[in-house]
Amino acid sequence: MRSRRIVMSILTFVLASVLVLAGCSKNNSGSSNATNSTPNTGNSGSEGSSGNSGGSSDSKLEKWGLDENLRFKETRKITVEIYDRGNDGGTPPEDNFYTDYIKEGMLRDHNVEVEFVPVPRWTEGEVINNLLAANQAPDISVTYSYPTIQTYANMGGVLDLAPYLEEAKDILPDLWDLLTDTNIYWDQDPKTGTIWALEARLAVLNRINTFVREDWLKKLNMEAPTNLEEFENMLKAFRDNASLLLGDQADKMIPFAISFDVGWRADHLTTSFVPDDITDKDLFVYGFDDRKFLLPNYKEAIRVLNKWYHEGLIWKDFSLYPAGDPTEDNLMKAGYVGAFIHNWDYPYRNGEDSIHASLQRMVGPDAAFVAIETFPNDAGVYRKFLSPPIDRKIFFPATNKEPIASLLYLNWISKFENRFFLQFGEEGVTHEKMPDGSYKALAATGEKIMNSPNNIDYTITVNGLDLGDPDLTVKSIANGYAGVDKRYIEIAYQASINEGRVGKNVNVGEIKAENGVGQALKEKRDTVLNKAIVAPVSDFDKVYDSGFEDYLRSGGQAIIDERKAKWEEFYGDKTMLD
Amino acid sequence: MSTSAMNWNKTLSYLRRYWVLYAMLILPIAFFITFRYIPMHYIQIAFKEYSIVQSPWEMKWADNNGFEYFIQAFSNRDFIYALRNTLMLNFLDLIFGFPAPIILALILNELVFKRFKRFTQTVVYLPHFLSWVIISGMALQLLAPTNGLINILLNRMGFDSIPFLNDPVYWVGTYVVLGIWQSVGWNTIIYLAAITGINPELYEAASVDGAGRFRKIWHVTLPGLRPTIIVLLILSLGQILSSEFDRPYALSNKLVTDVSNVISIFVYNYGIRGLQFSLSTAVGLFQSVVCVIFLFAANALAKRFGERGIW
Repeated sequence: MRSRRIVMSILTFVLASVLVLAGCSKNNSGSSNATNSTPNTGNSGSEGSSGNSGGSSDSKLEKWGLDENLRFKETRKITVEIYDRGNDGGTPPEDNFYTDYIKEGMLRDHNVEVEFVPVPRWTEGEVINNLLAANQAPDISVTYSYPTIQTYANMGGVLDLAPYLEEAKDILPDLWDLLTDTNIYWDQDPKTGTIWALEARLAVLNRINTFVREDWLKKLNMEAPTNLEEFENMLKAFRDNASLLLGDQADKMIPFAISFDVGWRADHLTTSFVPDDITDKDLFVYGFDDRKFLLPNYKEAIRVLNKWYHEGLIWKDFSLYPAGDPTEDNLMKAGYVGAFIHNWDYPYRNGEDSIHASLQRMVGPDAAFVAIETFPNDAGVYRKFLSPPIDRKIFFPATNKEPIASLLYLNWISKFENRFFLQFGEEGVTHEKMPDGSYKALAATGEKIMNSPNNIDYTITVNGLDLGDPDLTVKSIANGYAGVDKRYIEIAYQASINEGRVGKNVNVGEIKAENGVGQALKEKRDTVLNKAIVAPVSDFDKVYDSGFEDYLRSGGQAIIDERKAKWEEFYGDKTMLD
Repeated sequence: MSTSAMNWNKTLSYLRRYWVLYAMLILPIAFFITFRYIPMHYIQIAFKEYSIVQSPWEMKWADNNGFEYFIQAFSNRDFIYALRNTLMLNFLDLIFGFPAPIILALILNELVFKRFKRFTQTVVYLPHFLSWVIISGMALQLLAPTNGLINILLNRMGFDSIPFLNDPVYWVGTYVVLGIWQSVGWNTIIYLAAITGINPELYEAASVDGAGRFRKIWHVTLPGLRPTIIVLLILSLGQILSSEFDRPYALSNKLVTDVSNVISIFVYNYGIRGLQFSLSTAVGLFQSVVCVIFLFAANALAKRFGERGIW
């Protein structure tokens, strides 16, 4: 009895002390990490300067703990965000052949240990947000959402890159070559001079294309449509000839497919309703929504979709499936979809798993989507709004203790030979050289598979191919779609940039009204568009207008007003940029 | 003097005898203090201007005596709608979802074949272990207007598709029914346990008095279940303004946001994705306070009607 009590009390004590110790030791490890990461200043004995760097840069290198070859004297450690696409047959994004290449290279060239932190691609905004809020964001973080960065910057959660860039410019030549002043200073605040993020370069400005089933046109003896009316007639022809086109699966026919993301999936159509002479000012003031929802006449384009929906031309279930759901892709792959608007190369992406390849497997060798230009605007021009040359935004959270090592990482990844290896891999394994000098990526399986096309997730400073020579670049891009006839890619490439209007940088600093409402407004926009499309034709105006009004009242109008005021403050009466 | 000394001695000897039990309580109490009470000082965020780099004690007070974010929430129409939807969905859950496990328990209890009873019980409580993401995926497969299995079946039989998921009214129905489907079996367990606790002599006495099956259910089983029902009812009234996230979020789509946007989704869109942490904390605090009020009120009411309540 007594011994049992003793045993119990000992047990209790042990448990209680374990709990206390656990609390302490966590603190300990935290502080010891912190001491490890502070730069070691004791080691002072850098010898000889290397050619072009003068005395002052020597002392700079000294301060940063670098030797003359830009290697850290003490191994540094940085963490880098990497998108996780969770693709079938892919490798772990944080640990594979290419991450090893980067890790080895950074350790060899700069004595920096790199650790990758995977972040799901399709929810990256939310995830990086959570990581930032928890003070656990990777040293080099990447997101498409500048407002997220701005919000955290306002709270002191992001490093101002301006002083570091200023000081370290001469050790970052490759970064500067690739991004140029345009992208490096893109987000610089015109008043305070702060730079919260670097804009990665978007090498391919193509955004969107309209696709139709080439073989269906042929079967129905139709020419590719060249305007809205012909396009509509084509959709009706698809609908009315379902049994000819799909046989006993005629009831599966979907003449035109869209998704809940109506703004993206109707882009060419909506753009054609925007007046051709819209000014840069109006584009800036009303164009903040990434789907251009506020541009004049947008509603009329949605009215067309509303009509189509009720005529049975649009996929009925479009609004039910969330982002990333494969249902719609599967319908395209199975050959039920006649036309759609999407990313400029959407059907050709992903090699064997692409819509194109699946279509050819499941339907036949003739079945293919081809890009067309079919929506002229009021001036009769097939206008497209192209992206500005910016892509992901790269930023260092305030928890980054190694800004110089991180900048060197960005420089390393921007260096031509490094990014070329990441984009094309090994000759004979993941690419071959074509007779015309262009490069062709080969679909690899196993450890050398690329989880994203041309490893864009690793080349964070550039999205898309840039081989220096534009012609070579386009040819190589066309080579990049394994198993797809080059003709389709070239048509798609041209169709998506023809008559394009490239986005310009209107740098007026932060628009305060945009803080905190971005996501809510996007939700509202999607809600309005979805509801308006399925509304009875007679209710269309009511549904659209009330939703639109709600959008403006919930913050949209405030943003418009502030943008207008900011434009006038910086550009006065000018309505066009140079 | 002497009595207090005696009391003191009593307490001491009591403690000497049972201190081990109290020592063992240290662990759970430490757990609750560290993980439940210490984090609570972040409630201040609701009244302060949030900054990621400052501790909540250093943050600046918000405008309007710190109530800025409450004012913001209540002047936001989306919040008012979210409040309305939360109350509506929770009430419907209460009305339809609360009696369901009681009825199921009564039915199961009347089953004569024990094996069949056990089998049924297992089958109906398995959905409890499915996440709402999976359930919503299944719902899409079954209920989508053109690709959903049920609607395909209806079409083949010559009926029109039923917009289970894309019409707000139908969606609410789907939401409630799926909720019952998921939780009814699990919630039945506690009632079945309570039924086994009812004295069998009562049933025998009822039989002697000539009571049939339904009489026995009405006069013996249900009164036996009453305390359990009351406790669970109080607890669920305490949840009236709490708002699940995954269930409405996973089942929702852009066409039904008028009824599916509940408080948790409001917090997610404005607070988490919109990075307005003070606003979301204010909303969360409001929810908790209302829930506590409901809990106390329900408990007091139960006591007034002569029940034991939950404390």
